[in-house]
Amino acid sequence: MVAAGVIVVVLLPFVPLVMWSLSDRWFYPELWPRQWGLRAWQYVFSTAGTQILGGLWQSVGVAATVSCISVGIGMPAGRALGLFDFRGKDLVAVVLILPVIVPPLCVAMGLHLWFIIIGLAGSFLGVVLVHLTFCLPYAVFVMWGIFSNYDPAYEEQARSLGAPAWKVLVRVTLPLTFPGIIVAGLFAFLLSWSQYLSTLIIGGGKVATLPILLFALMGSGDRPVAAAVSIVFVAPAMLALLFSARYLGGRSITGVR
Amino acid sequence: MGDLKLQNITIDYDHTPVVHDFSLTVENGQMASLLGPSGAGKTTVLKAVAGLLQPRSGEIFIDGRLANGLPPEKRNAVMVFQKNLLFPFMNVEQNIGFGLRMQGRSNAEVHRRIEKILELTELTGLNRRKVHELSGGQQQRVSLARALVLQPAILLLDEPLSSLDATLRQQMRELIQDIQAQTRITTLFVTHDQAEALMMSQRVCLLLNGRIRQVGNPQELFYRPADPEVARFFGGCNFFEGQLKNGVYYSPFATVAAPELADNGQRLNATIRPEDILISVKGTQGLPGRVQKASFEGGTTRIWVQCQNRVFVVLAPRTDLCAGQNVRLHLPKDKIRIFPPGN
Repeated sequence: MVAAGVIVVVLLPFVPLVMWSLSDRWFYPELWPRQWGLRAWQYVFSTAGTQILGGLWQSVGVAATVSCISVGIGMPAGRALGLFDFRGKDLVAVVLILPVIVPPLCVAMGLHLWFIIIGLAGSFLGVVLVHLTFCLPYAVFVMWGIFSNYDPAYEEQARSLGAPAWKVLVRVTLPLTFPGIIVAGLFAFLLSWSQYLSTLIIGGGKVATLPILLFALMGSGDRPVAAAVSIVFVAPAMLALLFSARYLGGRSITGVR
Repeated sequence: MGDLKLQNITIDYDHTPVVHDFSLTVENGQMASLLGPSGAGKTTVLKAVAGLLQPRSGEIFIDGRLANGLPPEKRNAVMVFQKNLLFPFMNVEQNIGFGLRMQGRSNAEVHRRIEKILELTELTGLNRRKVHELSGGQQQRVSLARALVLQPAILLLDEPLSSLDATLRQQMRELIQDIQAQTRITTLFVTHDQAEALMMSQRVCLLLNGRIRQVGNPQELFYRPADPEVARFFGGCNFFEGQLKNGVYYSPFATVAAPELADNGQRLNATIRPEDILISVKGTQGLPGRVQKASFEGGTTRIWVQCQNRVFVVLAPRTDLCAGQNVRLHLPKDKIRIFPPGN
């Protein structure tokens, strides 16, 4: 029952979106489109197909890169924060949360000037870096949480059983923290996926991710096309979420004290 | 199989030494236990042997080879922790096979050795069981099997029984002893339980506050404690003072010939175990005393007896003494342990 309720609430906003994308003409204040049609989807898949596919790839590329880097840095950082007490730990926490508090617009505007100077403005790398300023803290926080409930004695046991350090990482640490890695990676991916402003400012239109295209289409006032592109935009994120749903549940973190 | 030799090991933790100048030899095939209260540094010593931490000074020899610089995986000394630490994402078989896989053994050999060790640890048929489906005792046996299957030169057991209940613990003790007798793996066993140490090992090393207090066979530590603190650790509670004169030890409670203690006129401490004191209600022989209280403990009764200015604790079977009763104590001369000078 509850699950069904949740699904209804989550899916409800998509109903008008789907309706919009399937309408050819729908005028205010009518509740129902006057004419149904596949014009929007034809536009998405054929007329603007290459452009949207390009945007999709660009978005996946940026989000996947950001996600990998976030986990790659978030894991050792979270481990250090979760397992050890050191001087300045509180300061690290504050510094980590700063980019989350400061609006992305400020960060992007501030960084823009510097990125122009060092030639990163308008580049893939520049966009990835600016996304990392928001995504990395989340990944570090997630991994911090995971490692505060992690027992490093498993690693000692593995060493003592004859595993060299790198094999301990691959065969013990990674499997034990896998649910956390999935969550952190997904967080970073989705955050990067939905970035518009920072991508626009740093990318300067040259890095045309899906949100950039989406906003352009919205601006043109063609609602059905915008709705269709929105669905294309949401679909991969939903898929990623469904794919990893089983790692988000309570079952997830075994092997933890 | 192999022997273990620790020479003048000092181990620091956060720049403060937790183990001082520790030396111990465990001979090939022997089962030795490292006994001490919690916080005495027992686990630290074990971890140093396993290579999980580095001593500040001193040498560790495993099977005659200097092991100081070696990483844990090259030491041939496997440690079993207090918590079973079974990898939750692996089944029983995979857990036990972990070390063998790390050594790059063939599938056939891994399976053969797993089957053999499952039989030895009475786990046959549980190969595919998930770790969380096992009982506490089974988990601990898997954890033991995982180390034994590697046939290490040295097996290091860090209180592997402390999480089990009393009956299960007794079964596991016997199992460990049997396996040790069969495999003859040199074993260093850490425990805080003096009875366990006495029962399980051929050699006991008592560690108090990071220092070795006495090493010897179980009887030696129990009956000839090196100092009052060691005696106290083993449940000793009757201490008195006396003076040495011409090879005879005089105290208000006993006079004992002590020819091996040559120094004259010295005041020395002595002890007697509570179960060695004889108590009687009738007769005129022995020290007069009065029962302060008695507490029934099952097989024995613990009786506190006021005798001159001292209270003696006596453990006696089947007595029906009660507080206020007059009794006679007899301290057999051969059961009195006089501590060497300086204690």
